[in-house]
Amino acid sequence: MKNLLQNLWEQITNSRPWKSFFRHGWPDNPLDRSLIMTTNIFFHLHPVRVNKKSIRVAYSLGLGIITTVMYIILALTGILLMFYYVPSTELAYFDIITLQTKVPFGQLLRNMHRWGAHMMVLSAVLHMVRVFYTGAYKPPREFNWVVGVFLLILTLAGSFTGYLLPWDQLAFWAITVGTSVATYAPGGKIIKTILLGGPEVGQSALTRFYGLHVMVVPGILFLVIALHIWRVRKDGGLAANEVKDDVEMEAEDGSN
Amino acid sequence: MAATKKPQEKEQSFTQSSRKTYSLVEVVKAPTTMVDKGPDNTIFAFPIVAILELIIALGSTLFLVLFSLLKNAPLEEHANALLTTDPAKAPWYLMGLQEMLEHMHPTLAGIILPTLSVLFLIAIPYIDHSREGAGVWFTSKRGKRIVGWTALYTTIAMIGFVILDHNFPPRELLRDILPNLVTQSIIPGTIMAFLVILPVLFLWRFKKGTTNAREVILVLFTVLFFTAIVLTLTGFLFRGPGFELYMPWAMPNGYNPFDGL
Repeated sequence: MKNLLQNLWEQITNSRPWKSFFRHGWPDNPLDRSLIMTTNIFFHLHPVRVNKKSIRVAYSLGLGIITTVMYIILALTGILLMFYYVPSTELAYFDIITLQTKVPFGQLLRNMHRWGAHMMVLSAVLHMVRVFYTGAYKPPREFNWVVGVFLLILTLAGSFTGYLLPWDQLAFWAITVGTSVATYAPGGKIIKTILLGGPEVGQSALTRFYGLHVMVVPGILFLVIALHIWRVRKDGGLAANEVKDDVEMEAEDGSN
Repeated sequence: MAATKKPQEKEQSFTQSSRKTYSLVEVVKAPTTMVDKGPDNTIFAFPIVAILELIIALGSTLFLVLFSLLKNAPLEEHANALLTTDPAKAPWYLMGLQEMLEHMHPTLAGIILPTLSVLFLIAIPYIDHSREGAGVWFTSKRGKRIVGWTALYTTIAMIGFVILDHNFPPRELLRDILPNLVTQSIIPGTIMAFLVILPVLFLWRFKKGTTNAREVILVLFTVLFFTAIVLTLTGFLFRGPGFELYMPWAMPNGYNPFDGL
């Protein structure tokens, strides 16, 4: 019986479909630990081997990962929220109330989306501060620093456009105050009109903010986050790798 | 090179086997990476990195779920364009901007200074383009001291600016004496510029002739970051009805700044 099962297992794991799905063995040896990184789209953003210095939590504080995780949580909770929400000035507010009172876990869903958004803005800012103070923007990482600045602006845009959607007093006046600042820029009145679809915050503004919030901003964010993480890998991983230890200093002194 | 090699050696290093892969290699002028040492400092990314990332992901998700169970997202009355809330505040991360609007002309507070800040952020790696100190918190002990003192200075200077400007606003006091451009833009703009440049001058004076872009950038970024913190907290926590300054725990009309998160 045991033999039969073992045979069957071997038959399955040696079959063409199995091997096409699992292109390497269990990653408990150097070869398979390399292959799992190079054959998996998510893992391949990592190098096969990493420098011990770059995985010290006290160095990076994990803030970039936290920001990315928040983005994923916001995308997932956001999709679920879309099932219960209609971006209409007449319905939106009552959709939120229905969500909070009638939909199972609706209140939790909305809370997670709201607090997750704040957390993403906060962790993105702190991530930038960490990168600055560790000098991780220095060459060859200049371009990725600039990409990061744009990601921060996009993150704020994502949060700001979502702020209007509950269509309560808080949302309405926050967006009214926020967009009124734009009018002081050269051509600001036009920018404001394009953004709001009219002179004031109304149905057109809600439609536009909804479109930006559920499609445009997260779509661009997704692409730019991918670019940002890819650049981290291309630029040689975390800047902590550049720090020379005693052996390296000695080797460099010897060669000079 | 190849011509001087014996045929026997050639066969050993370049086999005909299809399992062997080759790569083109070129000598480039660059810092050495692995000279005189093995890959001792590296470990396999799998599973350690995957596990670390999983822990951070699960940890932050757990924190978010617990927080969401404890505190509900705010929902006020139905939007009403005819009924202004008091105070009417932007989202918390824009409160620094809204606070600045209280102290200077909107074009300066809402457009020029934010644009300059973003341009400064983008310019950082092009101003300080040395590779020295990359990957080290604050670069050095001296860098840490510079950041510490600048943070302390900025916090005090900006709180002072907010309180002084609130109590003796030049736009109100000098309204009839000087044109608006001077009282609303030039005076606050000059004060801001002075507050930003002062620690750089201080650093320059005490640097004994050396130039180090990193140290200047450390000062400027710290000024920007702590100014943002002070102004954001002032706007978010200390502004109550009528956008007046109050202690967060002594807000009139039962206003709670945290209700607007």
